[in-house]
Amino acid sequence: MIVPEFLLKKIYQKGTLKKDEQGVSFELKNILGPGFISGFNFVQINDKKFDAADVFFVTDNTEIKGTDVSEQTPLKFRLGQKGTIKIADNTCVQDGINKIIIEIMNPEAGKVTVKFEDNI
Amino acid sequence: MKITFDKHSLIIDGKREFIRSGSFHYFRTPGYELAKDRFLKMKSAGYNAVEIYFWWKYHSEKQGEYDFSGLKDVEKVLQAAKDAGLYVISRPGPFINSEVSAGGFPLWLIKDKEVIPRNRIGTEYHYSEKYMQYITEWYDTVIPIINKFDNVILFQIENEYANDEMDETYMRKLYEMARERGIKCPIFHNDAAPWGLWADVVDIYACDTYLYINPNQNWRKDSFCFDTLDNLECVFECKENSPSFIAEMQAGWFDKWDGSGYEHIRKDLSDEHINIVTKTALSQGVTLFNHYMCAGGTSWGNIACDEVYTSYDFTAPISEYGVLEDNYFKVKEINYFLKSFGFTNTEPVDEISVNDEDGIYSKLRKDNENQCKWLFLRNLNDESKTVKILDKYESLIKPYDMKICSVNLKLYACEIEFSDIEIFARLKNDKTETVFLIADENTYMYLSNGDKISGNKKDFDNLKFEEDGKVTQFVFLTRELCRKTWINNDKVIFNADYVAKEDIIALQKSAEIAYFDLKHGFSKNYFKTRPQTNHKIILKDLDVSFCAPEIDTDYDYSGWKKLECSEYDSLSCGLSDEFTFYKGKIPKTINEITLSARHLFAVYINGKEILSRNSYKIEKLQQIPETIQIHLDKKNLNKEENELTILVENLGFDKGFSGETNHPRGLVTFETSPKCDIQFFVNEKLSIERGDNRESDSPYLAKITGHFDVKFREDEIFSKYLYLKNFPYRRATIFLNGVKIGRYIKRANVQDKFYLINAFLKEHNTIDIVVWQKARNIHGSWDFKNEMKNVIIEVGDEIRYQLF
Repeated sequence: MIVPEFLLKKIYQKGTLKKDEQGVSFELKNILGPGFISGFNFVQINDKKFDAADVFFVTDNTEIKGTDVSEQTPLKFRLGQKGTIKIADNTCVQDGINKIIIEIMNPEAGKVTVKFEDNI
Repeated sequence: MKITFDKHSLIIDGKREFIRSGSFHYFRTPGYELAKDRFLKMKSAGYNAVEIYFWWKYHSEKQGEYDFSGLKDVEKVLQAAKDAGLYVISRPGPFINSEVSAGGFPLWLIKDKEVIPRNRIGTEYHYSEKYMQYITEWYDTVIPIINKFDNVILFQIENEYANDEMDETYMRKLYEMARERGIKCPIFHNDAAPWGLWADVVDIYACDTYLYINPNQNWRKDSFCFDTLDNLECVFECKENSPSFIAEMQAGWFDKWDGSGYEHIRKDLSDEHINIVTKTALSQGVTLFNHYMCAGGTSWGNIACDEVYTSYDFTAPISEYGVLEDNYFKVKEINYFLKSFGFTNTEPVDEISVNDEDGIYSKLRKDNENQCKWLFLRNLNDESKTVKILDKYESLIKPYDMKICSVNLKLYACEIEFSDIEIFARLKNDKTETVFLIADENTYMYLSNGDKISGNKKDFDNLKFEEDGKVTQFVFLTRELCRKTWINNDKVIFNADYVAKEDIIALQKSAEIAYFDLKHGFSKNYFKTRPQTNHKIILKDLDVSFCAPEIDTDYDYSGWKKLECSEYDSLSCGLSDEFTFYKGKIPKTINEITLSARHLFAVYINGKEILSRNSYKIEKLQQIPETIQIHLDKKNLNKEENELTILVENLGFDKGFSGETNHPRGLVTFETSPKCDIQFFVNEKLSIERGDNRESDSPYLAKITGHFDVKFREDEIFSKYLYLKNFPYRRATIFLNGVKIGRYIKRANVQDKFYLINAFLKEHNTIDIVVWQKARNIHGSWDFKNEMKNVIIEVGDEIRYQLF
């Protein structure tokens, strides 16, 4: 299934990119339909790429490490459900525009790449 | 026929129509007779429409050439639909998916380097003039055929399409092309998910809804998969003044080579899934639905994409063999109810007082046609739940059940205040109505006169009310009898296995049939079937021959196609069949060859097999290219020039849903070490398909041949299977009277029983099974016969009905 880019961009909640002492965070919202995330391949912020081990996803009041999500242990992501991506590195963001790429796996769509930009 | 629409429904010749459609693939259920049989079964289940994909490749093997003759005669298919009294939803693509090879595109099209299929590379939009030019050719050919039939009510452009920037040029062009060629009915597109895509381009917005796409998923427990379906009414707001249309509403699911088997899926979905999905859609105001699939089919020949095996049963209400399954009878109940009450003009009512509980879904709709309300109650808990309604009534809902309750339903001689006894059907004339109710011990009907009627009844228990010269009669039927109850125009027929048009009754064994109509009441008739004979036979006196002379060293391949370039894959070679033989000479100095081939292949040097491999592999929805290195043993390279033969079996092209339709097949890459240019000669098809019946010295491909007879009778309908029992071989291709009807792969373990498609059956039949043999101790056909002494090849009846 091809998910058009303009829809994927809407997954990111504009204006939620934050930087604090612990690192960087931003919010996602599932506007596509109920489904599973079967893997966090990576998150790239500007030039820095973080693999699943460095990515944490907070949803339904639970913090999940990227490596804990797999085809065998997929994560339910309901329609309308929100979640926060957290990365324990605050050096990757910069003042002004930040370019972010998230690559996740979905059992139906395969590799889903979400690209967006935001200011701190 | 004038077809318009508003936000509630389709309007045909000024009359609102609820469209109850089901999908049927004429290419997977070939021939007029089978189409007629499936359509009549659909009509009997209360469907009023059939959705038909028109498959471009099936009709066009060469650019500019189209074949609509014989089994490919779609006019006959459309005529069969018309004769059965069904409307047609036409879907000529150009892309159709439907798990067919290359998503429906002809191979000559995807081979053309100037063509960008679907104007898309990956997710990016790239307009291709050449592609559009070829679509013109297809539309010019197929639309005039569609236009001959006035029962075509809807026309779809493309299928499940999107591109990154949602450039509309392609979709708008398809719309214009359809209109320019005389399509007068509303045009729609089928969105892959309810995202509202292309709503502005088409007349009616439509989408897929599949909530079960993974047989390992527990759809009952993972109730979150209903998120979209439970909010469909919001989705359809994307198109103003357009009725809610589910172009593919899940009625089953397809199984894959690495799947869990149709038996598992059918058990998993049972009749609960179709009941819940269909009724939830109704609760969301849907007035056009199309069950995908309604009738399963067979991917015979080269129909299948690489993902699916021969059976495309889809766990559909009507199975691949034409058997009426449990989900068929559930749909029949729903369709009869919809047919009785119209259901074309309803709106949601917010005020509803139902206790809120986990796993309970409720929705109330006001029916502007019948001046009543319908309450939808669903229980996704694994135990029964009692729901309190308006603080006054209670309804017990069984686990994973959904029902439609009547609220303030005014009948001729009484008014139902509330009832959770489900209505099966209603027959009425000006003065009398008979409402057939489904008996259920835990259900009740509350009438406005204070009567409380229990649903705990036996078959034909009835109650009669009279008021102002009008009569309402309730007749109870148990669910068991509902399965065998058929409504044909104004007549009800009880106890038949099924009833085709003109009251033709189909029976497997003798039965007493009851009839009812409002004018004559009840009557009975006894039908005696012929004594049952044993329709199961084991094929005896099997003949065995080695059937791949191409592998032999003295085989003359000088007449084969000589490859002029270094691209070996089947598209580049201009080959389209499942099997491709490559032959060439390699010097004895070669130490190693490195190759990748899709999907199953074997390498032979000087007539000896040195590798046999299944490279079919999909991970994370992507095909995994597999490159194999083979170290060559010098004892095999015993001549100055050695003969290399590579046989590749292509299981089909990518269907194009996530991947690209033109991914290469056949021999994809080939290199030697030390590097050496090999001149390859190629030919497609197995020798028996080419009519080359020379016996081979090599035992690697063997043909097992058996014969059986079929007795045809005018008053019988049957479907036959072939069952391979204790079958030890890695791979096999099955032919019925020379037509390829099945692919067997032992490792996949998904199918050992194959439909002997009626269209290919004759009075005297020949089965050929070509197996890829591995045993190295086979030297002659006698060894082979000895090895297969435990193999049972059985031919039998899957169903057999006598018609009266």
